[in-house]
Amino acid sequence: MNGRHTGVRSDAANLPTLTNFLQEFWSAAELPPALAPPFELALEEIFINVVTHGSYNGNVPWVEVSLDLAEGGVTMTVEDDGPPFDPLTLPVPDVAAPLGERRVGGLGVYLVRHMMDVVTYARVGTRNQLRMTKRLTP
Amino acid sequence: MNVRVETVEGARVVVPEGRLDFGAATGFQAQLEQAIADAGQAGAPVVIDCNALDYVSSAGLRVFLLAARETQRRKLKFSLCALKPAVREVFELSGFTRIIAVHADRAAALAH
Repeated sequence: MNGRHTGVRSDAANLPTLTNFLQEFWSAAELPPALAPPFELALEEIFINVVTHGSYNGNVPWVEVSLDLAEGGVTMTVEDDGPPFDPLTLPVPDVAAPLGERRVGGLGVYLVRHMMDVVTYARVGTRNQLRMTKRLTP
Repeated sequence: MNVRVETVEGARVVVPEGRLDFGAATGFQAQLEQAIADAGQAGAPVVIDCNALDYVSSAGLRVFLLAARETQRRKLKFSLCALKPAVREVFELSGFTRIIAVHADRAAALAH
């Protein structure tokens, strides 16, 4: 088992479907459960970003997720056919700000960038493609 | 996600169990707001015991941030305890451990 692929409409109600997809991939590949949460978080944050910002003129994007094992790590690719949007251009939140000045906007993508080893964005044809890779070392 | 609220030595102890993701955040926020309102009547501390919390995303962090602000506004003590490693990592990366008190376990949180 090297790779798996699934697709859902970008509706928040489909988040459990994607989480289950990831967990099934994880157990089928016999990967350590303790290393799954960063991928679960990255999948949720990127998917919910598309759900929240990706719809335009009543068109709800379609989201495709691929998971691949390679070279001691996992690569997760999330694609959507919404308008061009690179989440890596979002402003970086100030994680040292005091309580009264804290904002949660941008925190999800910030977490993804820090938990993954490599995160890249590309506009491929009519799709946004975000590719995330992390080595699996405890 | 299941959420219990206990009263221990006068404190309101909120115990979220399972996954605090985007889908669970709204319900958790409502229960936490209610617990804070109850604690406010009594001037009681609010502790969130995370010993059974397996996962938190930015949608969940937002709820903790709102609770920290609300308890500060009401001048109530507010702390978290017993974070599992995956949850602790998210809190630390976000800088939330610098703005919310985090204790090793419930006894330490209640003693503080």
